[in-house]
Amino acid sequence: MATLRSKSDQEIRELLDEYGIKHGPIVDTTRPLYEKKLKEAMAKDKKVTKPSSDKTFYREEQEEVTYVTYRTPVMYMETAFLCSDHIPEYSHVRLTPPPVFRPHVYNTPSYSSYSKPTPVVKSGGVVVKEEKTESSGRLVPLWIQFLVFLIVAGFLYFIFINMESVESSPFNRIQ
Amino acid sequence: MSTTSQKHRDFVAEPMGDKPVTALSGIGEVLGKKLEEQGFDRAFVVLGQYLLLRKDGELFTEWLKDTSGANTRNATSCSQCLREWCDAFL
Repeated sequence: MATLRSKSDQEIRELLDEYGIKHGPIVDTTRPLYEKKLKEAMAKDKKVTKPSSDKTFYREEQEEVTYVTYRTPVMYMETAFLCSDHIPEYSHVRLTPPPVFRPHVYNTPSYSSYSKPTPVVKSGGVVVKEEKTESSGRLVPLWIQFLVFLIVAGFLYFIFINMESVESSPFNRIQ
Repeated sequence: MSTTSQKHRDFVAEPMGDKPVTALSGIGEVLGKKLEEQGFDRAFVVLGQYLLLRKDGELFTEWLKDTSGANTRNATSCSQCLREWCDAFL
């Protein structure tokens, strides 16, 4: 990756436009600021508008995919983990637990990004934009969702363990 | 309605002319010195930078923090001060 320092003003301007960063003229005093913003934007968003090799995976999904309504979020998670083959819509997609439990039915247009099943149905432009800024479209940050998931899972496991131990309690009164 | 300081009100009340950079709201001795070292020795030069950034408060705040080490409060105060001055006189 070429350093931003060595790029010409025009190139910086083009990069800023590509990332959608509003900017003024590139001058001595404004340039360092824009370089910094570009660096942040690049780090946050590794993909540029050009399709990279990452995207070849998603190319398979260019057909329309209809997601089935979730009955309950928990059920979905179980089925997603346990019987992925039984869900035809998902068989050709890498399974990751949906970070947001949204019981919607939605169609994804051609550039569907499975890891983000939020209902960005309306316009293909929105989806493309959302794909670029993959993680910034959420209301609740991703890591918090994973954390909550882990806490709930851990809690359920804890309950399960406790239930099991009732049968063979080490605290039986000696007869 | 956010309370503005006397400094802010004084600055916004009239054309800035040749006022020093420390006349800006949020810019005190320390920050003023840092700005002067970078060549921003008058308020109108800082205004120039604000205008170059298309009067974008966020960009200007970020620039000011990077250039002078100002904290968010002071940078925002300066940005607001310039914005109101521009609204009145530009």
